Amino acid sequence: MDQIYNNSYLFMAIFLLLGIFLPFATIWVIGPFLRPHNPTKEKISTYESGVEPTGDAMVQFNVRYYLFALLFVIFDVETVFLYPWAVAYDNLSSFALIEMVIFVFMLAVGLAYAWKKKVLTWD
Amino acid sequence: MVPLNAYLAVGAILFSIGIYGVLSKKNGIIVLLSVELMLNAVNINLVAFSKFGLYPNITGQIFTVFTITVAAAEAAVGLAILMALYRNKATINVNEIDIMKR
Amino acid sequence: MTDLLHLNWGLLAPELTIVIIATVITVADLVMNDKGDRRVFGWISVIGIIIAIYFTVNQLNNPNGVEYLLNNTYRVDSFGSLFKLIFLVGTGLVFIMAINYIDKKEIKYDGEMYYLLLTALLGAMMMASSADLITLYIGLELLSISSYIMAGMKKNNLKSNEAAYKYVIIGGVSSAIFLYGASYIYGLTGTSNIIEMASRLPNAYHGDYKFYVYLGSFMMLVGLAYKISVVPNYMWAPDVYEGAPTPITAFLSVISKAAGFAIITRIFVTLFVPLVIAVDPKTNQQMTFFSHELALYLAVIAALTMIVGNTMALRQTNVKRLLALSSVAQAGYILVPLATLTVVSVNNIIFYLMAYLLMNIGVFTVVTIVNKDAGTEDIRSFAGLYHRSPLLGVAMTFFLMSLAGLPITAGFIGKFNIFVGALIEDAYWLAGVMLLTSVISYFYYFNIVRQMYMRPGHTEAPLRVAYSLQLVILLTFLGTVLIGLLPNVALDFIANNLNINDMFNLGITK
Repeated sequence: MDQIYNNSYLFMAIFLLLGIFLPFATIWVIGPFLRPHNPTKEKISTYESGVEPTGDAMVQFNVRYYLFALLFVIFDVETVFLYPWAVAYDNLSSFALIEMVIFVFMLAVGLAYAWKKKVLTWD
Repeated sequence: MVPLNAYLAVGAILFSIGIYGVLSKKNGIIVLLSVELMLNAVNINLVAFSKFGLYPNITGQIFTVFTITVAAAEAAVGLAILMALYRNKATINVNEIDIMKR
Repeated sequence: MTDLLHLNWGLLAPELTIVIIATVITVADLVMNDKGDRRVFGWISVIGIIIAIYFTVNQLNNPNGVEYLLNNTYRVDSFGSLFKLIFLVGTGLVFIMAINYIDKKEIKYDGEMYYLLLTALLGAMMMASSADLITLYIGLELLSISSYIMAGMKKNNLKSNEAAYKYVIIGGVSSAIFLYGASYIYGLTGTSNIIEMASRLPNAYHGDYKFYVYLGSFMMLVGLAYKISVVPNYMWAPDVYEGAPTPITAFLSVISKAAGFAIITRIFVTLFVPLVIAVDPKTNQQMTFFSHELALYLAVIAALTMIVGNTMALRQTNVKRLLALSSVAQAGYILVPLATLTVVSVNNIIFYLMAYLLMNIGVFTVVTIVNKDAGTEDIRSFAGLYHRSPLLGVAMTFFLMSLAGLPITAGFIGKFNIFVGALIEDAYWLAGVMLLTSVISYFYYFNIVRQMYMRPGHTEAPLRVAYSLQLVILLTFLGTVLIGLLPNVALDFIANNLNINDMFNLGITK
């Protein structure tokens, strides 16, 4: 048993070394020989086909992003309960179904609340 | 095999960092994050115990699921309250939240 | 495992009533237009609470003893039912206060207040009647998170925001500390059911894990100390009580605190009283972890809380801050029976909490009326109250006498029982601290009385009091005085309905 563990650590170490080595090799060692060197003004801009970035990176976000995030986090975390329920569904009694219906109903009330309070619309 | 004590040590370190953050940080949001760190220390403990405790069983992992969920709800409420505070006071520096100091 | 479809729903009737009312009000609040009068929700909630009280009273004296539900996570026993009665009656009275208190200018979304109060009540009820750490924790957080929002209900008031923020941080840290301790106890026992935990803890303790038992129990105690605002964790109380709307302050000081005592008694008595650490060689008596380790710690906490609460209250000029520190001191008194545990200690705790419920809600109702009229929370707003409204003045005097523990009031009987209980257990120093700090407390309680009778007010105009608030004051006043005059009625009621062995019974699984 220990042997297998040690071996798998060895594999991990090899993968780690390769993983560190390969990017360096491609960027600085092999890359310069293979890639064409033809810089133009467009190519050296930050986003070649995007908008030029302006101003500081530390800007204030619109607070509405935050409201969406808040709502997302809550509903996202609630699905934690749906997964074990779904996995164990075959072994559960019909009561589990009723319980989950109640749970989802309560979540739906929460969603309706957010909707009515105009969290889901932008303006 | 990684011994149980290693997990408990990570938990204890995380918990201590959390307490340090709550007591020393000025930014209100960082304080909330530190509280989350403390709760995550608990999660590490619970999961470690559910695998390597005196009576290993799955209850610890179930407990963790509930802790994570409640922590999310608490963080959401905390941030919402901080937002209300920011609207009225235009600062989230906890040193300046002191109008009731006697 | 029994088929859960045959769940005995009747046992959950009080909780289900509250859940249904809370959900219905939430939805109704959404569909109602913005100008609608939402006070009707408050009255619907009061009716719902009365129905829940009816169900809870029916559960008292259950011939089956203890009944378990939902795979041994939820239990219906006499201890839980008595606490639930305290929560329900208290919240019902807070509702009537809130209906009159709410001012649309300060609290724009007043519908929220009603269903948050209901969910907080639900959390408290879950805390009282559960025997599983997960369920206890969920109940604790349901109560706490609802309270955080309610403390910050006045969205445009800086004090209210600040109170809510402080409450969130302290609450979050405390629940993390509690859970950290609980995780160690879980690791030693491998279960979250506290009765099974109690049966496995001796193994762990007498194995090599003594240190973890100490660590776990102390961290759990420190974490839960915030809920009852005692010494390691009481600094939040004055700030939060001052910033929160007054009915919510009443809720926090009565229901939240009673729930804290329910959970502390449930966890510590169930877990650590059966944990025998040694047998005394001389008397052949069993020394338990509770009586030989925790009791001293609890006694020190109780003594420090009484000293700190009462002395700090002396220099307060804001009424709500003063009452906050007075409630810190009261929590210290209620810890005394727990520190000197006997078979009647839980009876004494429940009796004192009943008395405390009546007198504290009475005081806060009067404070609501006076502060709203004067527009300030300064203690001088009470000046001349007796001349403006004699009945209100007399009622307030009795409430304050009860808080101070003077005869012919419920508070006196409760404090006397606790004092005698401490003397019987030979905790003379604790009884001494209790007596001394009670004397100190007279100064600040009678400062309010002096303002009411002897100081001229800014006006002599009679104070008008809404009928529903008159009802609250009448009920709490009658309760305070009648229990003070006929304490046996209440004491017998508790003694007949409380079977302390219930807490250790695994009971019948339904």
